[in-house]
Amino acid sequence: MKIRVAAVGDVHLGEDLRGRYRGRLDGIGERADVLLLAGDLTRHGTPEEGRVVADEFRDLPIPVVTVLGNHDYQSDAADEIVEVLRDAGIQVLQDESTVIECGDLRLGVVGGKGFGGGFAGKCASEFGEPQMKAFVRHTREISELWHKALKGLDTDHRVVLSHYSPVKDTLAGEPLEIYPFLGSYLLAEAVDAEGADLFIHGHAHSGVEKGLTPGGVRVRNVALPVLRRAYAVYSLGAEDPEV
Amino acid sequence: MSHEASHDVAPHHDAPHYDAPHYVAARVQRALAADERTYELGIRVDIRGDQLFLRGEVECEERRHLVAAVAGETAPGLKVHNEVTVVEVRGPGEEETL
Repeated sequence: MKIRVAAVGDVHLGEDLRGRYRGRLDGIGERADVLLLAGDLTRHGTPEEGRVVADEFRDLPIPVVTVLGNHDYQSDAADEIVEVLRDAGIQVLQDESTVIECGDLRLGVVGGKGFGGGFAGKCASEFGEPQMKAFVRHTREISELWHKALKGLDTDHRVVLSHYSPVKDTLAGEPLEIYPFLGSYLLAEAVDAEGADLFIHGHAHSGVEKGLTPGGVRVRNVALPVLRRAYAVYSLGAEDPEV
Repeated sequence: MSHEASHDVAPHHDAPHYDAPHYVAARVQRALAADERTYELGIRVDIRGDQLFLRGEVECEERRHLVAAVAGETAPGLKVHNEVTVVEVRGPGEEETL
């Protein structure tokens, strides 16, 4: 028995792309059991763009779960975008969990946008000016919420869905100087503490698809410019055909 | 420092270093990220002499043209070479067993 997780991020939809993504989702019901969207659904973060996203991803034959990304906050209309998506039957995770029934198996998904700060040994700390403290605190609080959400999740498989990256592995190709704005090791630490089968993220358009947390959780960067395919499909709980 | 003193040392467009290619490229990159027509964070901007080179990827042809338009407005007088490409998206492909 396996669960097939389809995932893509950073689709950056707007009126100029209306109707273009939908065709790429034909047949997704035969290929996957759930579709996860890793944020940056829009470009400007307007409710109008949110409606384009809702129309592209509504009424699919499989459940759709998403988080928001930094672009989705740009117009200070994140709440309205969340409402538009939920009205279209798309689940939006904001530092919380959901359970998806996939046949006889249950998939737990913990998700939120995540945030930056950098990676162990080369990261920002909660020290100094209030702005710097607030920046790092935001990531720490998210990490604590994810830790808690994972702890309470008793399912056959667990996936974490984020916009920001938990590791440097999947940022390879991005300028080193911007790593602290692309993710934080605190996100990985929370997940490694409780365990998960897979960590999905986007945000790093110039990065690579595959990485690992220090604790051995598989990380996949599904930003559309990285995947260059409509979505990736990851199979959990299946026999590895190459072993 | 008084407001007047601060004003006196503010950079002028004819200041010798204000238009150093380094700063012009940074201004173009900032405009591409902040201009509502683009909001593109991943475009690389390089200036060599009077040539401005744009590299990166966007989702469609219209966005590709807007990137060049915003860059041209931000750095008038430079010849814009738009080397930005449109992301090509294939079908979903094979599943990966984890």
